[in-house]
Amino acid sequence: MSSSRNNGLCVKELEVEYKSGELALGRVDFTLPEHGIYTILGPSGSGKSTLLRAVSGLLLEFRGELLFNGQSLREQDILIGLVPQNYGLLPWKTVKSNIRVAMKIAHPKGQDRRSQEAQIDRWLSAMGIQELADRYPLSLSGGQQQRVAIARAFAIMPSILLLDEPFSALDAITREALQQLFLEHWQANPTTALFVTHDVDEAILLGQKIIVLPSNKRDAPEIIDNGTVFGLEHGEKRSSDAFFAQIKRIRKVMQAKW
Amino acid sequence: MVIKRRLNYISRLLLVFFGMHVVWYALYLLVHHPMLPSPLRVYQAMGQLGVGNIVVNVGYSLMRIFAGVLLALIIGLLIGLLMGRSSLWNKLLDPVVYLTYPVPKIALLPVVMLFFGLGETSKILMIMLILIFQIIISVRDGIKAIPENTYDVLTSIGAGPGQKFWHVTLPGALSVILSTIRISLGTAISVLFFTEIYGTEHGMGFFIMDAWLRLDYPQMYAGILLFSLVGFILFLLVDLLDYRFMKWRK
Ligand SMILES: Nc1ncnc2c1ncn2[C@@H]1O[C@H](COP(=O)(O)OP(=O)(O)OP(=O)(O)O)[C@@H](O)[C@H]1O
Ligand SMILES: [Mg+2]
Repeated sequence: MSSSRNNGLCVKELEVEYKSGELALGRVDFTLPEHGIYTILGPSGSGKSTLLRAVSGLLLEFRGELLFNGQSLREQDILIGLVPQNYGLLPWKTVKSNIRVAMKIAHPKGQDRRSQEAQIDRWLSAMGIQELADRYPLSLSGGQQQRVAIARAFAIMPSILLLDEPFSALDAITREALQQLFLEHWQANPTTALFVTHDVDEAILLGQKIIVLPSNKRDAPEIIDNGTVFGLEHGEKRSSDAFFAQIKRIRKVMQAKW
Repeated sequence: MVIKRRLNYISRLLLVFFGMHVVWYALYLLVHHPMLPSPLRVYQAMGQLGVGNIVVNVGYSLMRIFAGVLLALIIGLLIGLLMGRSSLWNKLLDPVVYLTYPVPKIALLPVVMLFFGLGETSKILMIMLILIFQIIISVRDGIKAIPENTYDVLTSIGAGPGQKFWHVTLPGALSVILSTIRISLGTAISVLFFTEIYGTEHGMGFFIMDAWLRLDYPQMYAGILLFSLVGFILFLLVDLLDYRFMKWRK
């Protein structure tokens, strides 16, 4: 990544407090380069979802600054794709029309109908769920809903992609398949992405850097460079020495801060 | 499978329909008095009415119900939305709804007639009055029951209030709205009957009372049957809407 310091998503001394005066998210400070992907690792309640809510504009009261390419994120018209912790599908719409609605809202003057439908079909088949196109979310398994939520987030072609523990409800095998699928599509369309997880392996497999949030919100988060693992072929990551070295390193941080 | 189950259901309905006629016929033999004519006499009387006559009367009744329901829906949806999305409005309007809800709306019929005359306005308004409080309350509760994070994805991609209403609030509250309409429809039809007794020469209420006054009992019963048909059509319509918009629940 040869981007200048200004390019990308800059999270500057961000701190969130709910009305009670209690910290929901302790101060975080990092710059995610454009077209880069960082994972955020932290124990339950450490503020991972809160961080994503602030970046996505759902939460407007925070201290610090959010910049994109050097300018305030909110003051620009930046499209954000969100995959919430609960998938966020509208239960009264079919899989296809869930994606269609998001595309129409995201791009009001977007493509004509035909190419939009083609786009939807493309993402459905990319996620291996074309046969679910006309089903309703309540009739889908958790893993299938995940795929729909991810297809939707990719389909709107956002400038920033935010994923909140998208694979947490899945069994190990489905999870690994989706991690690979996700990474392939991210590599084909490298969107500036933040990926939240509470799974150490997943954080190492998917992030160029890993931001480890502490459980004590007065402590500073640890930002761990993960370039050595990220640069490997996905299939080789798990058996590499670098992977094990990262696990050891993160465990140490966890012992100190979780 | 689905078709078979539906056929099954329809054949059961037909069976009950037929059974009711058997009971009716038995009663006719038992009572043996002009005030209870045989089914055949009544259907003959209906045949003599002529299609035009039936269509006009049924049409008037349906039109009044539709207008009343539509008005109640529009106003109820607006107020319910206001109360469901803003706690200030909820605090202001909740006591109003709470106090007026138990007032038997049919008792307001004379008042409505005083203010709005004997014409269509008072008929439609009465139906609206019957429905509106139920709709307000169910819309409000239906909207409150939608989890706040249902809006998140649309909000994050910049959806406006109109888009959120159309894609989340309305469909989310629709199931409660439909069941409220289903429940209040019976009352609305009864009220329609009362309002059609005065100030009109069309509609099923007028038709039945007119036949009664003329001591034309077969026609009176024909009217009652047609009025029931109106009710049946309305319930069918609500069921169709339910089938169309509530598919996602299964
Ligand atoms: N709406 C809210 N009002 C008050 N406090 C809140 C609210 N939402 C979250 N919090 C608090 O903020 C803190 C961070 O919550 P958050 O949901 O961001 O955690 P998380 O890291 O995403 O946890 P998990 O892994 O369980 O999803 C928690 O202490 C939580 O209780
Ligand atoms: Mg969370």
